Amino acid sequence: MPRLFLKLFRRRSMERDVSAELAFHRDMAAAQGNPIPMGNTTVVQEQARDLWRFTRIENLWRDVVYGARSLRRSPALVVTALLSLGLGIGINTGIFSMAVEFLLSQPSVTNPGSVVSLRLGGNSHANKEVVDSVRASGLFQDVVGENEEVFINWNDGADTRQIFCVQTTGNYFAALGVPIAYGRGILPQDPDEVAVLSNHFWRSRLRGDPAVVGRTIRLDGRPYTVVGILPADYRSLVGFGLSPDVYVPRYLDDTRLAMYARLKPGMTIGQAGAGLLTIARRLDQVMPGPFPYAQHIQAAAVGGMDRIKTETEMQTIGLFFITLLVVVGLVLLIACVNVAGMLLARGSARRQELAIRLSLGAGRSRLFQQLLVETALLALLGTAFGLMLRQAMAAAIELYKPPLPIPIHLHLTLDWRITLYAILLASFAIVACGLLPAWRSIRHSIAPNLGREGRMRLQRGLVVAQLAISLVVLTVGFLFLRNLLRSNAISPGFDVRHTLRADVNLPPAAYKDVLRKRAYVAESLRALAALPGIQAAAAARIIPFTDNTSFGSELTLTDTGRKVHAEFAWNAVSPDYFHAMGIPIVRGRTFLAGSQETAARPVVVNRTFAARYLADREPLGRTFFWGFDKTPVRIVGIVEGTKTLSIGEDPRPQIYEDLSKIDNDRARLQFVLRSATPPGTQLQAVRATLRRVEPNAGLEVETLYSSIGLAFLPSQVGAALLGGIGVLGLMLATIGLYGVMVYSVSRRTREIGVRLALGANRRDIAFMVLASAAKLILIGSAAGLLCAFFLVKPLAMFLVPGLRTTDPVTFVAVAAVLAITGLAAAWAPARRAASVDPMSSLRYE
Amino acid sequence: MAKSDSPMLLQGTLDLLILHALQRGALHGYSIAQTIHLLSGQALKVEEGSLYPALYRLELDGAIAAHWGVSENNRKAKYYEITKRGKKLLAAEQETWSRLSLGVQRVLARQP
Repeated sequence: MPRLFLKLFRRRSMERDVSAELAFHRDMAAAQGNPIPMGNTTVVQEQARDLWRFTRIENLWRDVVYGARSLRRSPALVVTALLSLGLGIGINTGIFSMAVEFLLSQPSVTNPGSVVSLRLGGNSHANKEVVDSVRASGLFQDVVGENEEVFINWNDGADTRQIFCVQTTGNYFAALGVPIAYGRGILPQDPDEVAVLSNHFWRSRLRGDPAVVGRTIRLDGRPYTVVGILPADYRSLVGFGLSPDVYVPRYLDDTRLAMYARLKPGMTIGQAGAGLLTIARRLDQVMPGPFPYAQHIQAAAVGGMDRIKTETEMQTIGLFFITLLVVVGLVLLIACVNVAGMLLARGSARRQELAIRLSLGAGRSRLFQQLLVETALLALLGTAFGLMLRQAMAAAIELYKPPLPIPIHLHLTLDWRITLYAILLASFAIVACGLLPAWRSIRHSIAPNLGREGRMRLQRGLVVAQLAISLVVLTVGFLFLRNLLRSNAISPGFDVRHTLRADVNLPPAAYKDVLRKRAYVAESLRALAALPGIQAAAAARIIPFTDNTSFGSELTLTDTGRKVHAEFAWNAVSPDYFHAMGIPIVRGRTFLAGSQETAARPVVVNRTFAARYLADREPLGRTFFWGFDKTPVRIVGIVEGTKTLSIGEDPRPQIYEDLSKIDNDRARLQFVLRSATPPGTQLQAVRATLRRVEPNAGLEVETLYSSIGLAFLPSQVGAALLGGIGVLGLMLATIGLYGVMVYSVSRRTREIGVRLALGANRRDIAFMVLASAAKLILIGSAAGLLCAFFLVKPLAMFLVPGLRTTDPVTFVAVAAVLAITGLAAAWAPARRAASVDPMSSLRYE
Repeated sequence: MAKSDSPMLLQGTLDLLILHALQRGALHGYSIAQTIHLLSGQALKVEEGSLYPALYRLELDGAIAAHWGVSENNRKAKYYEITKRGKKLLAAEQETWSRLSLGVQRVLARQP
């Protein structure tokens, strides 16, 4: 180190010093009568200069220049490396970017580490009064609330659409420090009719005009003043790319809020939880709610590693990404082996050059360095190309709109984590591609008599490893493809071929009264049922896969007095729902219209519910008390179950209530219609009918088939990603096999020529080459199958029930695909071998 | 390079001699050469062509330090001084040298 500094700072004065010093030396010699040395000043200066040089760095630079020059002469190697490493590093950084975005991204608030989400009584949402009390307690620096579950009706002057809205408390923007691109955030003193727009909504629906700030937009029929626009890279508190279209102050009295708090400086999450418990106990005494607040208290981080620790969904997503990263890591390994194979072949071609340089006195370590520098140049090119691919991938993902009812926009920015990961991958690639070939080349140049076959054996070994790895990657991809097929074949439990649904969002102010809502439902159903071709029309709070409400409650059975803790999916529907949806009624009946219904609170349950909680007696006609409610609930019918959220889920207990009997507090309603004609043809008529009944309602009409897209999303994403990666891995391994076969044929040209000259059949020659490829494929497949069998076992958690990872069908199919592709890759080299001209090949070399 | 009657110095020996010469205090290049010449009983003559590169190398290694000063005849000259590191190096080299020369002497003292 001190040497480096000396060199850096004193280099310039060195030359001057040397001549001055030498002049002095001569003068002294002359003065003292000694013979004046006849030495050459220039030589001394040269030597001194050599000492002062940055020898290492200059050598390195020379290697870089030399390497670049020699790479320019082998474009095939450069292109293979560029494509192989580029694809490998591109897909790795791409998946890593997604993992970072999903798992580690922080919401766009100031100092996200000090923001926590709060839960009282295990509930994600709390009343406004509760939020206010927690805030007033002074435990936190500030407490905010948001409700992110509402659609609001936006009228653009021509049509009314539902847009995704978040209601916030007045202090939300200030307390969290939400960044704003134009204008300002919502302030506590603002009136209720102000709105902050998401960047995407503003750009896509309002043409990105900054002058929108200060203007009025109509939401739920009321004029709202736009006060601000969020920045393009804004990340909401919920995360997962959720980008609500609009933020407004809370406008409904009964809207419950998800609570977030900013910790006081120095406060830990543990202290926050403990303090919250004290507050909850006091709340239980001062204003008791339907559930005790002091149970299941939670204060949890809103982003980063801490969030992963508390949320189980995050852990599942994390495991999925780990799987993906392992698989794409294997793909990169295959790509590296490709490049290593080519470098090995090149090394044997360059043996003479290296031997000459060694005999001229080049150090082994210098040659080694030079060979590694060449690999590093290749890796650098590959990484640059890979990062370009990643950028393209990020742009495509940003534009992609998943088939979800909520707006999702992912920002896959190229930040320092991604860059660091790319550097790590590049270093790994240098070692994986370059080390072995460089070592080999030098050893063989020193001892050139070592057998040539030995080197070919190493290349064959690499190809076998490559085939084995690609088999593992392919198995994973194939499993996810089968998973997709399997989940497509699973019935959701209702008819999606003859049905359509309408999603209605009533203007809340006009429909505060439950009776008005009921009247609206009755009128709409009458109008819809009168449409030609409509066989049945029903209303429901929830259509499966588009929404979900679950309960975990204590039920007290009136006949036996037994208490059961039941977990079930809940829905409220009109009587014709089961008919319209095509859900078979197993026993009993559906609800009866109007005064015919005898039960005060009738419910229909599914088979799973009956089997799990009511198996001790005949379930039909049984009554129970639900929680603290005083009205007994009577079971009037039993139906088949449906899937509720995902197609792969296990059967869940379900309860249906009569929509006309519940105290419907929500402005969102859905209709489901059964059509005799293809449901797509009814969309216009249904939209027009509902528009007539309530012109101010937000309205989405679509076929049920297209609306359950969400259910297939996980298996589609899994199949698309891992299937694609599997194909990529197979492709790279095939290139590797092809390269080795071509190389081996070109080395054996002479031998083949001799064979042909001695009368061998051309067909036999082709067969010989194919057989040697088949041998490699066979060994690779065997090794790969063995690895895959154990490695894919943990994937069972991502697959639909019934699809086992050990299913032999998968392995047989994958091995067959590998064998066919591999032999196809060996076909061209085999034909080339068969067409060798004996005469010219004997003159060869 | 000038031919000389004095024996060729073994590689590395010059470093040892320079460090030894510098033990008494700072010297400029010419007087280092003179000191070695005198101490060797005029047997060894250090050429500037080998002296200065050796000095620069030692300086870069941190065994000696250089600074510009004024010589006895009032001229600007570069003075070299042994450093702590140089002293350690000297001790080690001395040890190596005495073992080597002892070994060589023993070998030469006996008939094969």
